[in-house]
Formats: sequence, structure tokens, C-alpha cells
Amino acid sequence: MTIGVKVITKPKRTMSEQVYVPAIAAGLGKTMKRFFKNTFGPEEEKEIATVRYPEEKREYPARFRGIHRLTQRSDGSPRCVACLCCSTACPAQCIHIEPAEYEPDDPRYGYERYPARFVIDELRCIFCGYCVEACPCDAIRMDTGMHMPPSTERSHFLYEKETLLELPGRDGTYLTANPRHEPGDPTHPGIDRLKGH
Amino acid sequence: MPTFSLNGQTIPFEKGDTIMRAAWRAGIEIPHYCWHPGLSIAANCRMCLVHIKSGRQMQMPIMRFDEKKGAYVPDTKPKLMPACQVEVHPDMEVDSVSEDVEKAQHSVQEFLLLNHPVDCPICDQAGECKLQDYWLDHQADLKRKRTEPVHKPKGVRFGETIVYDAERCIMCTRCIRVCDELVGDPVLDMRERGNRNEIVLAPGRELDHDYTLMTEHVCPVGALTSRDFRFKARVWFLKSVEGVCSGCATGCNTHVDYDSRYGKVYRLRPRDNMDVNKFWMCDDGMMTYTEVSEARVTTATIGRGDEPEAVLPEEAIDDVALRLEQTEGAKIGFVFSALHSSEDNYALARLAEAVGAEKRYLAARPDWKGDDILRSTDHNPNRAGALAAAGGSLEDTEDLIQDVMAGEVEALVVLGAICEEDAAQLEPLLKLETLICLTPNDGPLSDLASIVLPVASWAESFGTFVNGKGMAQTFQRAIPAPAGVEPAWKTIAQIAEELDSPLGFTRVADVRAALAQSAAAATPSPAPASAAPAPAE
Repeated sequence: MTIGVKVITKPKRTMSEQVYVPAIAAGLGKTMKRFFKNTFGPEEEKEIATVRYPEEKREYPARFRGIHRLTQRSDGSPRCVACLCCSTACPAQCIHIEPAEYEPDDPRYGYERYPARFVIDELRCIFCGYCVEACPCDAIRMDTGMHMPPSTERSHFLYEKETLLELPGRDGTYLTANPRHEPGDPTHPGIDRLKGH
Repeated sequence: MPTFSLNGQTIPFEKGDTIMRAAWRAGIEIPHYCWHPGLSIAANCRMCLVHIKSGRQMQMPIMRFDEKKGAYVPDTKPKLMPACQVEVHPDMEVDSVSEDVEKAQHSVQEFLLLNHPVDCPICDQAGECKLQDYWLDHQADLKRKRTEPVHKPKGVRFGETIVYDAERCIMCTRCIRVCDELVGDPVLDMRERGNRNEIVLAPGRELDHDYTLMTEHVCPVGALTSRDFRFKARVWFLKSVEGVCSGCATGCNTHVDYDSRYGKVYRLRPRDNMDVNKFWMCDDGMMTYTEVSEARVTTATIGRGDEPEAVLPEEAIDDVALRLEQTEGAKIGFVFSALHSSEDNYALARLAEAVGAEKRYLAARPDWKGDDILRSTDHNPNRAGALAAAGGSLEDTEDLIQDVMAGEVEALVVLGAICEEDAAQLEPLLKLETLICLTPNDGPLSDLASIVLPVASWAESFGTFVNGKGMAQTFQRAIPAPAGVEPAWKTIAQIAEELDSPLGFTRVADVRAALAQSAAAATPSPAPASAAPAPAE
């Protein structure tokens, strides 16, 4: 079998290409045109790709995963039932939850289970969003649209339940869009046996 | 042995076996909720329906939806039988995986979940729930019901130990049968019918017998939950090793469930052993796991009174060796423990031999309430093992107090901290200048000790308990001991080393081998203690 040979001709330059000067002039012209337009031109015609962070901030996409928040019930209690699904799913193991039970004299006794402590180590978090996916109660969300505020203190990155409950979503709400009628809720229909046949 | 065929597989059975029991013996699972090998047959969950293909075939008339015609048309399906109730005959042909059976299982699953609250996130059973397992295996489908489920009481306290959630209950009646058949105390029953069915307590009663946690143990769903374990852990984080209950001389076999991330034991579960505890354990036995974390001694201390000096274990061991050297061997008393493993007691016996001690005693917990079911009146797990390891009869702690008062004992080495006497009765022991206590927990004896050495508890070491019947049962280590704390046999071996008479024990297998040898020498017939296989540590 013979080896196939493909002959490639060397591209030829024209005279104007060979001296380079017209191309340099054209390039500098483009740069100067953009410079004067962006510096002195009218505001709406400016084409600047950079923003003056942090004074100016870009709009994030709707599904940007920011720092976490815990959603609330209408009475302000956490929707979280401390099922530990998020901490099970978490690949960085940054969620620590201590479940507890409301006492029988508590008005929220019917909810049964709630997080006595809920701590997220935001330094360990890799912002993968698995906790949000895992949550069966829509209790944890990453829709705050916020970064971690910088700090030189490690403990500032340990977000406790109270902090997480106080963070609003990007729409400014604290409640979930997915309410449920649990026992203890005013909307719960009540025990059938007690309502008669 | 006669055989029958299950899904084409030939399976032996004993006369009187049901299909379910024969399959269970052969290690084949036929899906079921209400059947339990240790309880009577209720046949009410209908999950175990199978097709018996041999013998006369019965066909059931049904209406089947014909999609071409867009209407229901008459059809037939084979009559299925509950495997838990049908007795096996030789050469019977049973099919538990056919299309008809799977359809029936799918329907039963959908029916059981019709009014289920699906509150798996707050349910402690999640992760070991039959409803979850069988949903995945036999349903994996959404329910078609779209109306509000029937609501029933939740979080009902049945007693000190058990909480009941009627919405999760599938009415298998296992808990009722445990109370009726195992305990003989019919405290639970059912009320109402159909989807308003509920388990209730007998009027004026609480669930307060000695086996209440068994109702939770047999519950295939999350209807009954233990108030102790409630919300403490998620079961998928727990690991398990084989243990032996330290509650009494019955020696019930257990699963020790622990979380390796925190090094903490969360609960015990009975482990099936037909020769000892069958499928069960008593409440007090189930709660013995608290010994591992409560009132623990974790630092070695020297001195009595309000502020004993905390020292490193090595310093305490040096001090122990020094004091034992200073005392005349015959005047050193050794107290063995009926609460510690045979290995620990045997190491102590060898140390007693090494220092030439003659006075030997046995500390044990006083008798407690026994019954005819499982509980032995002897509150100690290893009395027989301690006696065997010490190589003969031991005096009791009452004799010890008299010997101390008579001045026959000048120094004392004690394993464990618990004995029949209370602090007031033990007061004469304060006379002793040297009272060395090797103990995992605080107790009346460790309060009086001049040197306290912490040792590993049963969950933190390998060991053997010999129960009241003389059966030697080994248990495994679940969690690591607190930092610097070793099993008692190892600490004793270290003391012996300091006394220049090493015992040669570095692994638990060494202790077991030596123990087996001494037991074989003591009795010509094979000793029960030697039957225990030694695990690699």
C-alpha cells in the first residue's frame, strides 16, 4: 500500500499584509474608537463588559445557589422536621442537626419533631444543592441570592438555626410556597373518629 | 425430609410447616407484614398471597377493563392463598413471583398506603420500614386516591416506653399478639373497623409490662416507636455488631446498634437465638446499653475523699504495682465480678495467682424480678463464667466485709464497682489503705477505692458471658473505649508486667486460649467456656 501524499501550498501574502502597517493602524483605530465611545460617548451606547464590583453587582441567574436559608411556617417555627435527609445527602458533611420533640404543652406539639440545633458550616459547604434536592419539606433553600460575607473568623461561617431562619429568599419571603396541613396546623382537618360517622 | 417446590426451587419442610415457615427456614423471603416466626398466625395483611399451582385450581370471576372496548368485561383470575396460613404438602408447587401474585402484592401495597400519612421524614422507622421496602419492591407507583386521607390520632403515649401513631399503623396485630402470647398480659386491642381501625389500650391500663419494647420491635412500620430511641438517630447511620445482654443470667443475644462517627451506642435489638432468647428481650435488657455512657469512669484517680488526684493510667498502674509489692501476698484480697467477661475475670485470677493471694470473693448485683419468659432472677450476666475463670468457689462480699474487720485482708483488688451491699454496709472497707478498683462505671466500691483505674465497658471490648445454662456466648466490640482506657484484662496484664510476672496476654485470643486450657485442665470433659470461638481483634 502506498502512502497518500497531500500537497499543501503555502499561503501567499499580499504586499499590504506583508508590511503589517495597515493592519496595525486598523487595529489601533478600532481600539481608539471603542475608547472614545466608552469614555465620552452617550451612556446607552457604551459597551463595557466589566462591572465595578462590589459597588455594582451583576444580576445572578434565577437558579443561582447562594447561602442557605430555612423556611418558616406561618407561625414562624421552622418547617424543618430534622429528618437528617440533607445531612445524609451532603457530600461535604457540613450540616449538623439535633432533633427534638415539642413538649405536650407546646402549641406546636403536633408537629412532633423539629431541629433543636441546625448548623451549617458554610466554609465546608461546596454549594452543590443536594440538601435542597433531598429536603422532603421544602425547608432548606439556597435562593437567598447571597454570597458568604467575608470574614477572618472561622466561627462566623457556622450558621445556626436562628440565622438561617432570618434570611429571606430573593423575593423577600420567609414562607414556603408549598404549605402542608400537619397535625397542629389550624388548617389540619382533624381526627375523623371524633367527627362522627 | 419431605420437600415442596417454591418458584421451581426444591425446599425441605417439617411436618406441620406453613409455606411461609418453610421458606423462612430456607432463608427465602415471601413478603409479609403480620406473620412473625415467634407469634401465632393472623393472616390479615394479605401481603404473602401466593399461587399454589398443584392440586385443584380455583378461578375467581373478576371484571377486567378492556381498553379496546373501553368497558369492563368478565374474566377470571387464579385464587391466591396466604402463604403464612397454608400448610405445606409434599410435592406442592408454589409460585410467589408470578404475574398474578405480583399484581396482588401491588394492590395490597396500594391499599395499605391509602391513608398512610407518608411522614417518613419524621418517622423513626424510616430506613428499616417494611412499607418502604415493599413499596420499592412491589409497588413503585403512585396511589390513585386523591381525596384527604382518614386522620387518626398521632403521638399517643401508650406508657413510659412506647408512643403510638395510628395513621402509620397497618393493623397487622403483631403488637397485640406479643402482649397476648409472649407476655400473657392482654393490654392492647383494636377498636373500630375498616379504615378507622386503631390499636388501643385496655381501659384503665398502660402498656407497662416487662416486654413493652418488643411491641415496638415487632412493629413492621413506624406505628409504635420507642420513647427512648425516638428522634435520637437515623437508622441508616447505625452499624451493628453481635452482643450479649448484660442484664441477667439468661444472656439474651443482641444486636448492638451504634454510630461509628460519634462512638456511641444507640440501642439494642434482640438477635434470634432459638436456644436462648428466641426472638425476644425484656425492657430492662434492652435498656442495658445506657451502662455504656452513664456514670462512666474515664480517668484514673489516686486518693479518697472529695478531690482524688487524677493521674495518667500508667502512673496509676505503677502505683498499684508498688502497693501490691508492699503488701504480704496472702493478705491481698481479690474481688471478681459477675458483671465482667470471663476474660477479665480470668486475667484477675492469674494476677491473684502471681501475687500469691488466697482470699477470693465474688461481687454481684442482688437478685431482681425474674419470670418464666426470659428474665432470670440472677441479675448478673456472668456469674458462672466468673466462677469458672476464678477456678472454683468464691466467697461473697459479706464474707469480705467480715474478713476486713477481722484484719485478714489488708489490700483489695476489685473488678467492677457494684456489689450487693450499699455504701453504708461497705463502710468497714474504708479501713483498708489499699483498695484498687478497676471499673467502667461509678459504683459503691469505686467510691471507697483509694486507686480507681478505668476499664472498657462490654460495648468497648470483646468478651464472653457464660449464662445460667452454662452456655458461653461471645460478644463483639462495638465502639472504641474512651482515650487511654483499655479492657480490664489488658490493664491487669499491665499490672502483672509491672510486678515482673507477665501473663503473656496481648490479644483477647491469648486470654481465651489460656482460659480454655485451664478449663480443660480443670474438667476432663470439654468445658463450655472453651467452645467460644475467638475473633481476631
